[in-house]
Amino acid sequence: MDRRSFLMSSAAAGLVTLPGAVLADGRRQRSLAGSTTAPLLVSPPTNPKSRVIVIGGGMAGATVAKYLRVWGDQVDVTLIERNPKYLSNIMSSLVLTGQRTLSGLSYGYDALQTRYGVRLVVGDVVEVDPVAARVRLASGTWLAADRIVMAPGIAFDAVPGLDDPMRMPHAWQAGAQTTALAQQLAAMPSNGVAVLTIPKAPYRCPPGPYERACLIADWMKAYKPRAKLIVLDGNLDFVTERDNFSQAFYGLHANVIEYRTGVEISSVDTNQRVVYTNGGAVKADVVNLIPTQRAPALVAATGLATATGGRFAPVNVLSYASTVAPAVHVIGDSSATTQPKAGHIANQEAKVCADALARILAGGQPDPAPVTNSACYSTITRSQASWLTAVFQYDPVSGTMKPVVASSAASVGWNGDHFSQMTQWFGALMADSFA
Amino acid sequence: MSPILRRAALLAVWLPALGAAGLAQAQTTLPPAGRLLASNCFQCHGTNGKGPGFDILAGKSASELYSELKEFQAGKEGDGIMARHAMGYTDAQLRALAQWLSTQR
Repeated sequence: MDRRSFLMSSAAAGLVTLPGAVLADGRRQRSLAGSTTAPLLVSPPTNPKSRVIVIGGGMAGATVAKYLRVWGDQVDVTLIERNPKYLSNIMSSLVLTGQRTLSGLSYGYDALQTRYGVRLVVGDVVEVDPVAARVRLASGTWLAADRIVMAPGIAFDAVPGLDDPMRMPHAWQAGAQTTALAQQLAAMPSNGVAVLTIPKAPYRCPPGPYERACLIADWMKAYKPRAKLIVLDGNLDFVTERDNFSQAFYGLHANVIEYRTGVEISSVDTNQRVVYTNGGAVKADVVNLIPTQRAPALVAATGLATATGGRFAPVNVLSYASTVAPAVHVIGDSSATTQPKAGHIANQEAKVCADALARILAGGQPDPAPVTNSACYSTITRSQASWLTAVFQYDPVSGTMKPVVASSAASVGWNGDHFSQMTQWFGALMADSFA
Repeated sequence: MSPILRRAALLAVWLPALGAAGLAQAQTTLPPAGRLLASNCFQCHGTNGKGPGFDILAGKSASELYSELKEFQAGKEGDGIMARHAMGYTDAQLRALAQWLSTQR
């Protein structure tokens, strides 16, 4: 489809009236009071004033697509995603312990399409033209827009010797590797050894590897009573939530977890399940190898991954416009900011981006003082959790989002109430992003 | 002139390159104050504060929301995640987001 036919297909959507919109935000409803015809969010705009293409339908991409429709003035939004369903990475470590299923962590795009009028294209983007603001699909079709939002998540660095990744799964993108790791853990001998490797920061979900280690340790006590979990951390210390994780590693789970820091992995032998490190070779029955991470190749190929040693895309955090190509915005884990790479804050980055785009596309300027927040819960056992949170304020001097010191905190310890709250938080977060 | 129109007029000064049509558009679409700030609540309290999630925020008055947030901020509701969260905002920001949330019914 060329730009012309894309525009024509936009125009082909039918006219509808607004008899008290179901999901339009209050302001729009009030401002349209008395109007007889108005755009209903459930369909793409009949006479779009602008167009945005969103690449990637994860936490950031789904949220920006939704809020561009809710907040934008007649913005035609096309979401391009390679998978028909999103599998949540949040909570996916609970699949390893049999407490969650992948199908239960599956989120479709129906609501974005039918409640918000987002156009969904299931396909692969193979090229982004950052100047003309157009993208080429694997099918050869070009789609054009006024702005492009890239939310493609993360990719993993190659590890020498990792010729069969399913024998050393990262399980850091929920899917087949999650299932494989669960099966390998279940099949290991009761006195076996498992290895979990933590990449050098920045990586997706800072507390994630530590909470997974705690969860597996707790599970081992019940199902693999003499097993050991060796955690090989590429960092010199706990990356986050030090108090809780050190108490868990050195206290609660001390008889299961052996924690080694500053570990650099030089290569692996997938066949023998050996990890070669600067501290020697480690042989195990199960290896959960979480490699170092970067923005997916498309971001670099577009010329945007110029920060963090060429790994992630620098952005203006007022709008998430790439500092290299301002018609392209990068949100979520692919961007290089002072904020953690995680789903909850990716949702808020998406809202800041949607608000900024709504203003920019209407001839205005982004909000000069955006605020974002991060919040998450970490499983310390199969039934108890801790929490971690921070609010970030825009600092005009440095042009970065700065965590407010008083707001940056974790729970003192962990308990069952926090575990229940984790479930409630997760349901709310996913609904705000996908429903 | 309403605050929103005044802001739009100020904006016009900064956007000399925009044509009249663009300005009209900017005036009609400048987001209401507090909405983006309030959207920080949506991850846990639902889109527009209407759930699903923790306490439903829609339907509460601005003064009720503001005073609850100030109690959290002052630590009067314990040292939970919401207390810490409230500590991340300035007083003016809490007022603005409470005001916007109070428009949600």
